[in-house]
Amino acid sequence: MIWLTWRQFRTQALAAVAILAAATIYMLVTGFQIRDAYNADEATCSRPQSQCVLLLNNLQGAYTGPQQLFQLLLIAAPALIGIFWGAPLIAGELERGTHRMTWNQSVTPARWLAVKLAGVGLAAVATTGLLSLLLTWWASPLDQIAENRFSSLVFSTRNVVPLGYAAFAFSLGVALGLVTRRVLTAMALVLAVFIALQILFATQIRTNLLPSTTVAPAVNSALLSRAHGIDSPAGGDGSVYVFQPLPAGDWIQSESAIEDSSGRVISDDQVGSCLNNGPTSLAAIGTCLAPYDLHIELKYQPADNYWPLQWAETGIYLALAVLLTGSAFWRLRHHHD
Amino acid sequence: MTAIIQARQLAKRYGQRAALSNCTLSVPSGRVVGLVGPNGAGKSTLLKLACGMLAPSSGTITVLGHRPGAGSAQISRVAFVAQDAPVYPALSIADHLKLGARLNPRWNQAYATARIADLHLDPAQRAGRLSGGQRAQLALTLATGKQPDLLILDEPVASLDPLARRDFLRQLMQDVAEHGTSVVLSSHLISDLELVCDHLIVLSASHVRLTGDVERLTATHHRITCARRDPATLPAGLHVIAAEHTDRQSTFIVHSDTPPPKGDWAIDPVGLEELVLTYMEHDRGRDPGPGGDSAAADQDSADQGSEVAR
Amino acid sequence: MIEFHLDPRSGVAPYLQIVQQVHQALLLGLLSEGDQLPTVKQVVATVAINPNTVLKAYRELERDGLAAAKPGVGTFITRSLGQASLAEQAPLRDELEEWLKRARAAALSDPGIQALFHRALRESAERDT
Repeated sequence: MIWLTWRQFRTQALAAVAILAAATIYMLVTGFQIRDAYNADEATCSRPQSQCVLLLNNLQGAYTGPQQLFQLLLIAAPALIGIFWGAPLIAGELERGTHRMTWNQSVTPARWLAVKLAGVGLAAVATTGLLSLLLTWWASPLDQIAENRFSSLVFSTRNVVPLGYAAFAFSLGVALGLVTRRVLTAMALVLAVFIALQILFATQIRTNLLPSTTVAPAVNSALLSRAHGIDSPAGGDGSVYVFQPLPAGDWIQSESAIEDSSGRVISDDQVGSCLNNGPTSLAAIGTCLAPYDLHIELKYQPADNYWPLQWAETGIYLALAVLLTGSAFWRLRHHHD
Repeated sequence: MTAIIQARQLAKRYGQRAALSNCTLSVPSGRVVGLVGPNGAGKSTLLKLACGMLAPSSGTITVLGHRPGAGSAQISRVAFVAQDAPVYPALSIADHLKLGARLNPRWNQAYATARIADLHLDPAQRAGRLSGGQRAQLALTLATGKQPDLLILDEPVASLDPLARRDFLRQLMQDVAEHGTSVVLSSHLISDLELVCDHLIVLSASHVRLTGDVERLTATHHRITCARRDPATLPAGLHVIAAEHTDRQSTFIVHSDTPPPKGDWAIDPVGLEELVLTYMEHDRGRDPGPGGDSAAADQDSADQGSEVAR
Repeated sequence: MIEFHLDPRSGVAPYLQIVQQVHQALLLGLLSEGDQLPTVKQVVATVAINPNTVLKAYRELERDGLAAAKPGVGTFITRSLGQASLAEQAPLRDELEEWLKRARAAALSDPGIQALFHRALRESAERDT
């Protein structure tokens, strides 16, 4: 059965190896280039901060193209695995009727499914794992510069989560293939469900997986001297925002406008004297605003939550994969043929 | 004689639809059994139940004394070739033989290779490029190569041209002659099976209509042609299966365990095809009619008769 | 080696067709004493019939005293229907032609003659078994 699974999977395996080999070579070559450039920039950069920032941003900008491409590859990989490895695995056999021949070659349906799942499933997770490893290593200097580990496309294409996606998409393909018994239908459904779940996680679920921390720093000179600016956006409803510097690796989930002590958002005319007519330096504006007893509300995940979040999301996807696998076996047992 | 397949009130339902109802039969071993019936009668269902691909809704079936599909030991003794002989198009013939060798506990590689050579097939040829007849032969090779005690074939020649059909049946009979394998093959045409079967099962509308050894069936059924008369006036011992009347003449198909007595009528034999059609047409709604060695048939033999007046 | 050709539509049981064809071969002198009949496997390789049918036919021939099985080797003809039976046939043939003349004189048509003959043949066969 192992031989048969391999023999049927041979072409897809070779295609995957070819893609992996090409990706590895390219990433190794450019990855070392990036590191060399980064180290060079760091060395010349002990002088003014602003110039440092400029240099590094340039470096990051130079590789934006390849980075986007590889991220796309890595987010597509689980979907493609689900479509081309998962869906046809069982549906192809059922559609053609070859399962009847193989089941009659002294193989029980349960063993048939188990070997196919294990063999190709392992390959699926391993391929994606390797790709993720490569990309995470390759992009790590760029990620350090950009400090956007939590942003959707970056979070879902690094470290462990891609493995969860691969396991899920593959088992989804298999389960759907078993139920629909048609390869094309299963392929279409896998794509739809996978995309839907990815969107759901990115917009709703991920932000709520772990409890956020909420702080309400007071609007005063200490806060404003660290800020980039304070303004009420033109065409807005009059609420006033403080423009914070980018946090060092924290994930800002929401940032409110300036509120008074009772939680009501203030409008710019209420503090017009401080903003428009009064002092010009940010620290001074802060001192001016302090007596109003204002604050802003910040909801964020600290940088330390990155790995727990990765494991949590991976865990959910793996649990779904286990559920789908179990249901496939159940379905096979109760609806032979 | 040991029974190779034994079914008791076997039934299979899909929701409201009954694919097979109240099927009781006993198939002796060492036979080539023909399973005949129109499309949708339940032939494929019965065969799949026999090789363990389906589980019964109610009733029991045992094959070679065990529940079908229960473990790989049982599966290795029963070979099944599904309708249209599915094979893996991307794999070569040699790959298929390798499949057989690796998956089956008992596999005769020498026999399988020789068979492929006898059929003038190229082992390196991909199975997807084979003609229908060649595919059927490959599927049969995979089935007989594992040296089964029972071979089950679901409409093996339905989609083959006459030449391929003849070659397939010849090859099959050679396998039977060589190994003494019991065979069950289904067809919706009795003419395909007439020369190869020695035991018959007739299925129609999910019920078994007739079962028994071909020899006994042809010996115990007769056509009685006479002047128009009421079937009740025929001698006792002649059970009327079907009757046709014109204004002058009556024709009866009768079943009788002993040779029918002489009288004011002509007695002629009934061909197998006509016998099958007669039983299929007459909706008995119950268990098998007269059959030679079927256990249930013996219970039933006292209770016959249906009449169609035209 | 003779070959058999079976006709499922002829109304004659397959094993009987084989027996008849062996008889015919003997009459035509194609088979004589000591000749081997084709093995079951050989017959089945040329005609797609049940091996048991061939066995049954050969057993019938053995019962008629025309053949005998040598275990492990095959089935062999033990008696010729050659010249001797051709001689036996001549008076039978004459009698038959006499009978035919009488049947035609009784206004029996050819199909009627055939029906009468087949019925008598069958009934006499049943009486013998």
